[in-house]
Amino acid sequence: MKKILLLSLLAFSSLFAQVAQDVEVPYISYEIKMGKGFDAVQANCLMCHSFGYIINQGPQSKEFWAKKTDKMITHFKAPMTKKDINTVVEYLFEHYGNGKQK
Amino acid sequence: MQRREFFKTSIVASAAILGTNLSAGQTHQPKDGQKMSKMAFPEKRPMITYSDRPPLLESPRSVFAKGITANDEFFVRWHLPDIPTKIDLESFRIKIDGLVDQELNISLKELKNDFEQVEVTAVLQCGGNSRSAFTPIAGGIQWGSGAMGCAKWKGVRLSDLLNRAGLKKDAEWIGFNGLEKAAYYETPNFVRELELTELDDHVIVAYEMNGEDLPYLNGFPLRLVLPGYYSDSWVKMLSNITVTNKYKSLFFMDTAYRVPDNETESETPDHKFKKTKPITFMNVKSIIGYPENGMKLYHNAHIVIRGVAFDDGHGIRQVMISTDEGKTWDEALLKQENGRYAFTEFRFTYKPTKYGKVSIMAKAINRLGKEQPLSKDILWNHGGYKYNGIDVVEVEVV
Repeated sequence: MKKILLLSLLAFSSLFAQVAQDVEVPYISYEIKMGKGFDAVQANCLMCHSFGYIINQGPQSKEFWAKKTDKMITHFKAPMTKKDINTVVEYLFEHYGNGKQK
Repeated sequence: MQRREFFKTSIVASAAILGTNLSAGQTHQPKDGQKMSKMAFPEKRPMITYSDRPPLLESPRSVFAKGITANDEFFVRWHLPDIPTKIDLESFRIKIDGLVDQELNISLKELKNDFEQVEVTAVLQCGGNSRSAFTPIAGGIQWGSGAMGCAKWKGVRLSDLLNRAGLKKDAEWIGFNGLEKAAYYETPNFVRELELTELDDHVIVAYEMNGEDLPYLNGFPLRLVLPGYYSDSWVKMLSNITVTNKYKSLFFMDTAYRVPDNETESETPDHKFKKTKPITFMNVKSIIGYPENGMKLYHNAHIVIRGVAFDDGHGIRQVMISTDEGKTWDEALLKQENGRYAFTEFRFTYKPTKYGKVSIMAKAINRLGKEQPLSKDILWNHGGYKYNGIDVVEVEVV
């Protein structure tokens, strides 16, 4: 009897474990560097991805960051103004750059 | 040496070094020992966490001491920020449409009851796994070696679903779309396309992973399982399969997850190779799960080096271990009980007889005779894809 009870309990929990309630994905605060242009980064980049996505690309060239930003606009359709594009690329290169233009 | 002469030589020397760096790119061991996040994600233990939105979680090295990766330690990689946080299984349907005789909307219950249930144990690995091995740094998340895992997947054959719907004569391409959504309506969905000829009976639509429902972050309630292929094609939260007669141009097919279309799949940072091809099949690779970098081992102790090896399904023939910087290699014992797409487990008994730093190296060789190169011999590509260098773990014998 005990065995049957245990089995049915197991069946119950595996059936309903994941659908009974909403899943909550935690928020993680990434230590992003503050500086000129950060507001534009926050307003544009954070719509689609965390700062972790930026930090974990490793230090990169200015061309790399310009191309990444362009990819977000061309392929992912991020609605960025020309002014913001420049600001964001400058910010990324200054704080997450490798010092090289190309 | 005179000062001027010294100056000259050093300029030449540094130019030579810089020259190789810049024109060829370099490859080394991927990073290792990254910190685990303090925060655990749903159904996961704390893992190496690169991003919370979309979630990017890596498994620590220790996981690869075993041939099956536990669900709560299995890596996670999504592309778009909006992943549904609740799926009502009563109303959930997978839709099969396009060039079919009969459009189907199948519930999870029907999937489990009306079709033959099949299982396959297979390795799931991100094409960018170990990307941190490349210099100059290749674009993308700088994964260590843990963007992979091996699980027992249960579900139904894709071919059975397609047969039930009935393929029209001109059917040629199959598109797979999941439920993850972008922040902007105009952003393309993460759709994958496969040519009908690429699909065999090992391709399944899975609802179970290691005997449990798929974890939410690994694609609950359904995902595509493509043994032998890199994970970019294993669409998660699969909701729609569309049959077409022509290849649709898609960002995630045409631009992302591609390598240079030449024999060595390589290029130089200065001269990128124009023509590219999808990353598709996995190359032969192995990882040491125990011991780990920086561990101390006792002199004359009885150590069992453990790890996993895999390829795209041809199967692993040998795993060789070296503890003397690659001068001599000895064969490890293999355990292969989960089929040719699964991790092969390897074990090697080792008694450290010298004190000090020791490098333990593992090299897998598959049944085609393909073997892992040394990491320094791996050629660079712009996306940092398909790294499969010989794994090296450095320990200290005390």
